[in-house]
Amino acid sequence: MSAFWYYVFTLVFFLFDYFILAMGLNIQYGETGILNFAYIGFVAVGAYITGVTGMPSSAGTGQQYILGWGLPFPINLILGGLTASALALVVALIALRRLRTDYLAVVLISLSLVLYDVINNYVPLFNGADGLYNVPEPLAGFFKLTTNSFVPFFAMLTGVVAVIMWWVMSRITKAPLGRTLRAIRDDDGVAATLGKSVFRYKLTSMLIGSFYAGVGGGLIIQFGGSFNPTAWLPGETFVVFAVILVGGVGNNIGLLVGALLVETLLIHLPAFLPSIPGHPGLIEYIDTMVVGVLLMVMLWFRPQGVVPERIRRSPFTLAKRSGQTLDDRAVVVPVAPVEITTAVGQETTNG
Amino acid sequence: MAERNEPVAEGVFALRCQELKKSFQGVMAVTGATFDVPQGMITALIGPNGAGKTTVVNILSGMMKSDSGHMQIGSTDVTNWESHKIARMGLMRTFQLSRELGGLTVLENLLVAPQHQSGESLFNIFFRPGRAKREERENTERALEILNTYGLYDLRDKRSRELSGGQKKLLEIARGVMASPKILLLDEPMAGVNPALIDRIGGYIMDLKAQGMTIVMVEHNLNVVEKICDHVIVLAEGRTLATGRLSDLRANEEVVHAYLGEVINASTTR
Repeated sequence: MSAFWYYVFTLVFFLFDYFILAMGLNIQYGETGILNFAYIGFVAVGAYITGVTGMPSSAGTGQQYILGWGLPFPINLILGGLTASALALVVALIALRRLRTDYLAVVLISLSLVLYDVINNYVPLFNGADGLYNVPEPLAGFFKLTTNSFVPFFAMLTGVVAVIMWWVMSRITKAPLGRTLRAIRDDDGVAATLGKSVFRYKLTSMLIGSFYAGVGGGLIIQFGGSFNPTAWLPGETFVVFAVILVGGVGNNIGLLVGALLVETLLIHLPAFLPSIPGHPGLIEYIDTMVVGVLLMVMLWFRPQGVVPERIRRSPFTLAKRSGQTLDDRAVVVPVAPVEITTAVGQETTNG
Repeated sequence: MAERNEPVAEGVFALRCQELKKSFQGVMAVTGATFDVPQGMITALIGPNGAGKTTVVNILSGMMKSDSGHMQIGSTDVTNWESHKIARMGLMRTFQLSRELGGLTVLENLLVAPQHQSGESLFNIFFRPGRAKREERENTERALEILNTYGLYDLRDKRSRELSGGQKKLLEIARGVMASPKILLLDEPMAGVNPALIDRIGGYIMDLKAQGMTIVMVEHNLNVVEKICDHVIVLAEGRTLATGRLSDLRANEEVVHAYLGEVINASTTR
C-alpha cells in the first residue's frame, strides 16, 4: 500500500472515530445540555481499559499496567465503553444531582485534571507518562493482516462500528427519550414540573455519552497500538466540542460533517503536510489556531452549525384517523369564549 | 359537576396547605399560608404585589422548598417533594412569564407532557418498539386534538420560541392539559394578553372545570375572578388573609383595605 493510501485510511479512521466521539458528547451537551468538560477523560479511560484488558499480563513486557487479561476484540472494546460509563455513574451520583450546569462544568474540568495527574503520575496503573504500547492489533491474526493491510481494515471496521452506533443513537434521539432530553436541555425546571426526573434523564444521557467516549477511545488505542497522556490533554475536550459546534449541535449528520471539517481536515490532514523549512512543528500550531478561529467565527455567524438541528415533525401527523387525516380537518376552536372583557368594566391592578 | 359559585362542599379538597412559610436570606416571603382548594372548582389566588403568591405557587409545584408547614394533595402529604414527584401526583403548573420549551416544536411541547411514556425507556426503545410506537401514535392524536381545541393546530411544526406571547400562554395551558392533571396551577394566565384572548382563555378554563379538573389561578383581573372563579384565596404579606367567594370578600374590611380597596380605587380614578 502506498503512503498516500496509508494517509487516506488514517484520515478515514479519524473521521469515523470522531463521529463516534461527537455523538457521545452531542447526547450530553447537544441533547441534554450537560457541559461535560471532562469528556476527554472518559475517552482516555475507555482507551486504557480497552488496552489493558486486550493486552497480555504485564510481566516481561517492560510496562506496568493493571489487568492484562488478553481478551479478544470486541469484548475489550465493550469493557472500555462500560468502564467509561461506570466512571460517569460515580461522577453523576456525586455531582449531577446537586450541581447546576455551570458549577457542574467546573467540577468536570477539575475531574479531567485530576484524572490526568493520577494516570500520568501513578505508573502501576497504565504505565504513567510513557503510556501503553505494543497494544495488540485486533483481529490481525484471524485475518492474517500485515502492518500495511491493518490500517485500511481497521479504518473500515471503525466505519462499521460508527454506523452501528449511529443507528443506535438515531433510535434514541428520535424516540420520546430524545425529546425528553431536549426538553431538559431547553428548561430543566419546566421538564421537572411535567413529571420528568431530571436527574434520572441526565444520568441516562451521561451513561450513554460516556459509553460512546469509551468506545471511541478504545478504537484509538487499538488503531495506533499505543496511548499516552499527551494524546488526551484536558484541552482535547474542546476539539470534540469544536466538532459538534461546527458541524451542528443536535444533528447526527452535522456531527459527521464536523468530524470531517475539524478533526480530519484541520487537525489530522496538516500533520501529513511537509513541514515549513526552518519551522518544524509550525503547521501543527497553526492548525490549532485555525480551529480556534473557526470556532469563534461559527459561534458568531452561524451558531447553529453547518447542518443545524432540524425541526422534528411527527411521523404520525398525517396518520389516517377514522378514514380522514388530521390535516384534512378544518381548524376550529370548539370551546366558547367567556365574555369577560366586554361584559364588565376593566377592574385590574398591575401584576 | 358543581355550578359556579356553589358553596364549597365540606371536606372535598384537592389541595390543602397549612402554615407554609418561606424566607429568603432573612426576608419572609411567605409567613403562614393556610388554605384549602376545593376539588373540581376554579380557585383564584389574589393579593397585592409582594403578597407571596408566586412563592406559594413555586412551593406548591415543588420548585421551592418551604421552611415549614405542610402541603397535601388529596390525602397524600407531599410537603417539600421534588417537582417531578408532585407532577406525578397530578399537579401541573404554568408560569407567569411563559416558559415554553423553545427548541421543541409546538407539537413536541405537548408530547413531552404525558407521564411514564414507554418510549422514554431505553429497554422499550430497543426491545418493545411496537408498544412505544403505538403509544406515541395515540399521544400524537391526542396532542393534535388539544392543539386543534386551543387554535394552535396550524403552528404544530413551528419551534415554540417563535410563537407570540399570547400563543405561548395558550401553549403552556395546552401542555398542562396534555399531562391530564387533577390540579392545574395557572400563574397569571391572562397577564399581557389581548381582551379577546382573555375571553378565550376564560372559556378554556371553564371547559377544563367542566371536565372535572381543579384549577388554581393567580389572577389580578377581578373581572376574570368575578366571572369564572368559584372560590377566592386572598394572600397579603405572605399569609392567608381570607378565603371565600369574591362577593363575600368585598364585604370584608380587611380584604378591602389590603387589596380590593386599592384595586377599586385604581379603577375609579382612571
